[in-house]
Amino acid sequence: MFVWVENTALALWVSTSLWAYPLLLSLHIVGLAIVAGIFSMRDMHLIGVVNALQVSQFNDLTKLAYLGFIINAISGFLLFTSQASIFITSIPFLSKIALISIAMVLTLFINKVIKRDGNNTRLKIPAFISLLCWINAIVAGRLIAYIF
Amino acid sequence: MFEKLAELIVDSPLNQWIQAKYWLWPILEITHFLGLTLLLGGLIIIDLRMIGFFRNIDHKTTHKLIPLVALGFILNLITGVLFFYGDPMRYSINIAFQIKMLLVLIAGCNAAIYHFKIDPLLGTINNNDSSPLAISIVAAISLGAWTGVLLLGRLIPYIGTG
Repeated sequence: MFVWVENTALALWVSTSLWAYPLLLSLHIVGLAIVAGIFSMRDMHLIGVVNALQVSQFNDLTKLAYLGFIINAISGFLLFTSQASIFITSIPFLSKIALISIAMVLTLFINKVIKRDGNNTRLKIPAFISLLCWINAIVAGRLIAYIF
Repeated sequence: MFEKLAELIVDSPLNQWIQAKYWLWPILEITHFLGLTLLLGGLIIIDLRMIGFFRNIDHKTTHKLIPLVALGFILNLITGVLFFYGDPMRYSINIAFQIKMLLVLIAGCNAAIYHFKIDPLLGTINNNDSSPLAISIVAAISLGAWTGVLLLGRLIPYIGTG
């Protein structure tokens, strides 16, 4: 099935076009800076590493982070199609997807608690786990190129 | 300029050490990526606030993120120098790398302008006022230059290697 994915017109465009792959990688790194950057700043604020934000403003910041997430979901999906049968058995790739999924679920939880209670010290642990997820998603993402 | 530098360090002990340690390059890359996340993540919030977004957050408060931004920059400066040391002949002639360094220089000068001219200004403006033009321009140059650094860095393997 994943070999079939690689042979769709879309996947072939990504893998054979001179510019598609570098262009998608460029989008993916900008998206990374937005989504992992903003969420890690939010997490460090919630943990107490910095006191530089206001919980009442997380809504706008989260929206921007979601934009980064969407950029990366699309660019990531397209990059995936070009080598689907390799990626689907790659431990770093699968770990990365699992870590991002956990981080996004934690974000939904954090948003819900903030909406209900405002600032909340109970968020320290979810924020800490979220931060670890983003750090390790980046580590795993980089390792895709090294560990097959 | 970079070619001269490359000739100086090629085959130096550090150059040979970096090339010999197969596990070092991925570790440097991972650190470089974590560094850029701190650098850009902080700057997105600080610069967009200076341009006029997120007005409920106090200007001065977002600037408490600057130590994290600086940490990201230092991590990337160190790992970046080690990349260059590890493969000087490839980077020195690479047009994407050369433009990237120019953009880092522009971003650095811009940060100096921020530090000496803009930072003292920030305390004098009200949170709900729209940002004075000078502040918006410095913030936009910062975001633009660093985004360019990000893009060109990612494109180094793909464009202009001799």
